[in-house]
Amino acid sequence: MKNLLSFFKGNTPATVGTTIVLVFVLLSVLAPWITPYDANKRVARGHQPPSAEYILGTTRSGKDVLSQVIYAGRISLLVAFGAGLLATIIAVLVGITSAYVGGKVDSFLMFVTNVFLVMPGLPMIIVLATFLGQVGPLSIALILGIFGWAGGARVLRAQALSIREKEFVTAAEVIGESRWRIVLVEMLPNMVSLIVGTFAGAALGAVMGQAALEFIGLGDPTVISWGTMLQWAQHSSALIVGAWWEAIVPGIAIAIFAGGLTLFNMGMDQVSNPQLKGSKNLKRWKKLNDELEAQRREKLAATKRQNQGGVSTV
Amino acid sequence: MGRFLGSRLLFYIAAFMVAVTFNFVLPRMMPGDPFEIMFAAAQGKIQPEQMAVLKEQFGFVAGPWHVQFWDYVKGIFSGDLGPSLTYYPTPVTEIIAGALPWTVFLAGTATLISLFIGISFGIFAAYNRGGKFDSMVAPTLAFVGAFPQMVSAMLILFGLGVVLDWFPVGYGYNPDIDAGWTLAFFLSVAYHAALPLITMVITGIGGWLFLMRNSMINTLGEDYITMGKAKGLSTRRVMVNYAARNAALPVVTAVAMALSFVVAGALLIELIYNYPGLGNEMLGAVAGRDYPLLQGLLLIIVVCVLTANFLADLAYFWLDPRLRKQ
Repeated sequence: MKNLLSFFKGNTPATVGTTIVLVFVLLSVLAPWITPYDANKRVARGHQPPSAEYILGTTRSGKDVLSQVIYAGRISLLVAFGAGLLATIIAVLVGITSAYVGGKVDSFLMFVTNVFLVMPGLPMIIVLATFLGQVGPLSIALILGIFGWAGGARVLRAQALSIREKEFVTAAEVIGESRWRIVLVEMLPNMVSLIVGTFAGAALGAVMGQAALEFIGLGDPTVISWGTMLQWAQHSSALIVGAWWEAIVPGIAIAIFAGGLTLFNMGMDQVSNPQLKGSKNLKRWKKLNDELEAQRREKLAATKRQNQGGVSTV
Repeated sequence: MGRFLGSRLLFYIAAFMVAVTFNFVLPRMMPGDPFEIMFAAAQGKIQPEQMAVLKEQFGFVAGPWHVQFWDYVKGIFSGDLGPSLTYYPTPVTEIIAGALPWTVFLAGTATLISLFIGISFGIFAAYNRGGKFDSMVAPTLAFVGAFPQMVSAMLILFGLGVVLDWFPVGYGYNPDIDAGWTLAFFLSVAYHAALPLITMVITGIGGWLFLMRNSMINTLGEDYITMGKAKGLSTRRVMVNYAARNAALPVVTAVAMALSFVVAGALLIELIYNYPGLGNEMLGAVAGRDYPLLQGLLLIIVVCVLTANFLADLAYFWLDPRLRKQ
């Protein structure tokens, strides 16, 4: 527990990021109780601007934007976390197996990973989704998970390789511990922070990917998610007509959620490389550094002048 | 040098074959008869002759599947990607040839500009850590980058295009001007490309900035930096020649990995700005269930990404002399 708290201390991005994500999760869970209107029912005239009654305005078909965006969050978050989980599981399996078993298995798995990494994900997903017809949130989560594991696998493999060289793993092997036990008990606990980072990254990619797919029109239009809200806004030319709330609200929801995940990842970066942290003393360090730099520049200039005065230019 | 680049080239060819296989397998993976489904989806727009052509294009000729596959691959490598359904009977290759230059122009220019600005800002932010730029401007740019690209595109379209009316909001160039090597044409192209470019650059800078900044911070801790300062080199020289050169290496690797995201971003941007590139064609093909065009576009996008990756490998090779010793 103390370790958990020390993660947040002095680490602004991690604190802010985690708070944002938790707030979104909370809002989604509490959706039936906090939404003022039914997200699916028409409650007012179309394209009403934000007012006291409809805090974020209404859509083209007269549905309350606030209720919609909160309910949409459920689907979007589910897909994001689901796809993220699937991608992370595959990445962990591929990465650790590749690192631990080595040899031909490693070469083959790395080849597959590199191919997936180099392939342009969105176009392939679009083609796949078009062939499948319309895809509901579950299929989207599956597809995004299947295309999103490659980056994490490479990183996890690198870390697993370096852990494998460490002495406690060699000791465990010498004692005769089974491979499974070594991987689960010796290696995995040291990789937790990286695995969590991979999950956050995969969830981030899944949010954007889902929004993109639904925006293009490949999602299930009967399901409300942030992406389909954007698509309806584009369809009803919301911005051009002047009903900016219909388009901007889901966009901002996605942006803030994605921002939260990004900040969380930045926080994880700072844990692995403490040099990246900002701190209270940074200003003092900067002042001292600037003074040092100024002194250095003066000395350089003085030396230059000396040289020019002493040696005649040729 | 030849060995490293040779193995990379082989890898890219293998990756391309994976994409070809993907295209081959896809129509066969669909439950039921794929052609019945396509016919139904096209809602009567496909004539029977077109069906026969489609079948041939997808390789559903007589014979076991490996014969079909070989036939399909031969077709691909001889440049025959079949006819488009929505533009029947225009061949897919023609449509691609018309759209490809626009996408390469847009995505290429946007990447280069945001790389250049992002790296410069990153160097500046790292060297002035804790200063105003690093603590305020940099995170703001990163936040703007985290916005989903379609939302940023819509906002910029609305703000700069509709409200302020500074730039045109669609198409590659003014339709009144004839395409050709004239100054008027180039100016029109640049004018129409302004909004998409602005969107892509603004959303892209944040990523490169932080990558370069973090890489620089790691590099500035190295001994040779202290050595450079001790030798009496100017700050600028240390920053650029000693620190930035080494810090740029991970960034170049990241460029290769980011290319697929650039393509994805370009796709959405083209949709919103109605820009006549591959992305626009792809989305039209989705709407019209134009499977041959869709698959052809996928292949060409894959080729573009692989080529760009190869160029990034070349750049990395040129930048890092340690690789040349192999």
